Amino acid sequence: MNSVSGMTLKGVKAVAVEVEVEITGGLFNISVVGLPDAAVREARERVRAALRSVGITLRGRVAINLAPADIPKEGALLDLAIAVGIASVQGGVRVKKPSLFIGELALDGRLRKVRGAVPAAFLAVEKGWDLYIPEENAAEVSLVEGVSAWKVRSLGELFAHLRNEIELPAVEHCEADYAPPQADPDFADIKGQSVAKRALEIAAAGHHNILLVGSPGSGKTLLARALKGILPPLSDKELMEVLLLRSTVGDSASSVRERPFRSVHHTASAVALCGGGTTLRPGEISLASRGVLFLDEFPEFTRDVLEALRQPLEDGQITVSRASGSVVYPAKVLMVAACNPCPCGYSGDPVERCTCSPSALERYRRRLSGPILDRIDLHLSIPRLLPEELVSLEGKCGESSAEVAERVRRAREIQTKRWSRYGIGSNSEIPEKLLRRNITLSPEVKGFLLQALNRVRLSGRGLSRILKVSRTIADLDAAEDIRLEHIAEALSYREGEALSWMKS
Amino acid sequence: MATKYLTKIGYRIIARNVSCRHGEIDIIASDGDEIVFVEVRTRSKGWMMPPECTVGPEKMKKLKRAARIWTEKRNYTGFWRIDLIAVTLDDDELSSIEHIKEITEGIE
Repeated sequence: MNSVSGMTLKGVKAVAVEVEVEITGGLFNISVVGLPDAAVREARERVRAALRSVGITLRGRVAINLAPADIPKEGALLDLAIAVGIASVQGGVRVKKPSLFIGELALDGRLRKVRGAVPAAFLAVEKGWDLYIPEENAAEVSLVEGVSAWKVRSLGELFAHLRNEIELPAVEHCEADYAPPQADPDFADIKGQSVAKRALEIAAAGHHNILLVGSPGSGKTLLARALKGILPPLSDKELMEVLLLRSTVGDSASSVRERPFRSVHHTASAVALCGGGTTLRPGEISLASRGVLFLDEFPEFTRDVLEALRQPLEDGQITVSRASGSVVYPAKVLMVAACNPCPCGYSGDPVERCTCSPSALERYRRRLSGPILDRIDLHLSIPRLLPEELVSLEGKCGESSAEVAERVRRAREIQTKRWSRYGIGSNSEIPEKLLRRNITLSPEVKGFLLQALNRVRLSGRGLSRILKVSRTIADLDAAEDIRLEHIAEALSYREGEALSWMKS
Repeated sequence: MATKYLTKIGYRIIARNVSCRHGEIDIIASDGDEIVFVEVRTRSKGWMMPPECTVGPEKMKKLKRAARIWTEKRNYTGFWRIDLIAVTLDDDELSSIEHIKEITEGIE
């Protein structure tokens, strides 16, 4: 077997691409076969120039075959593998061990950063291959355990390394640091809104979706941003998942343990949100997986975008199918949606008068479909603070984010302990089967629930969601069983005043 | 003049002014293990165009075809390329000689 391999991305997975090179006599000509895309075909120019920079001049007919032939190859990261493949035929470079080469070549032989280095590292670990990566990708690859990788600055250095003339620096494995997230804004900086803070704490603890409804300026956006500061850091397993997704889009975060927080503007298309495109990229919902997806001005999103969210919100993953193939991206998001109660924004406001016509209200309401609202666990109304409150509450305004984060962390620990053997991380992911089996309710609580259900007419899913939220509230209390007050609190977030405007 | 130059830089001259049905080749030489088909262009000084610009796509096609026929006739399977030597004259005196290697475009 040829020992030079490159790779191409299929979803978040790397697929090994064997690079075969044949050089025969004749007039100079390079051809690449094996379903290359435009970037791979253009690699010919880059590879030729880069090889010339290290003193290898190409002659004759150069045929490059990228196997397997039926998978479309994309991206510039095959440059390096092609260059090494050619050099091993013509330039006196020998690759002894099977190795994976990724990198985009500059005309002068330098190596540029590529996207997909982490999937490549996983592939290399799985196959037991050596991995050669551009120096700029070293930071993300160093987090992958068990990979034997080398940092390459330029083609010349790599060839010298393969000829045993110099030794390239190896990528050292390093642990991601557990730096506490910087709370900005801090909960202590937000005046009032203690109900909202409590709901955010529950959302953070159980990874529940939340909808914030409030008039303009009431602090919806501020609260959503503060949520970032109380989320626990990513665990190792989650980190790998997030890292993989970030790497496939070429996005490297500064603080690695920090949960993703993706704020999406309402002009986003369904493809941008859910993933897709001709070359199949993950969308915002996948990039926000294990973190927060913040949708401000929720009803302003086009209807098909919102409806497209239904399935991933329920399943925690999204299957993107296109002509070029179908891939599954993770989508375990904590969705924070924020909206005004009506087009003018003042419906239900104690001071300001709502000026919307009934038909305008009707239209606005119709944008939020029942199925979408049914998938949001916590519905919350954010009241505007009174002038006295705004002025008076100086200095300390309740707990700081760090204190809340500590409680959230403890609640998550309880959940991890309980659910880890089923392979789930948080209460919001509990499958129906386990939910019914693991939650014991006293007759008193059952009676209350029945009463409540008759009153508010919840769907079956609504009930499961309430039970999940109650479980989280109980975990925050460090309580073994779900008690009446937990259920009551969970119910209050579901059918409280927040959505009263929907029904009037 | 061009042959003198080629010998000086170490090429071995194989033939001169070879012509066939599809065109003619000014010089055939060998550079190591590679055969070089050389097109010589001569211009007097003061011409509007430098000599290297006078080889257009039509001429390139002819050169390639002629060279291919030459190699196929001799069952030559090694490397070959097409070079251009541009000679600029100043009152029949040599003023400059320029050698451009590999004028074909290998990447379409």
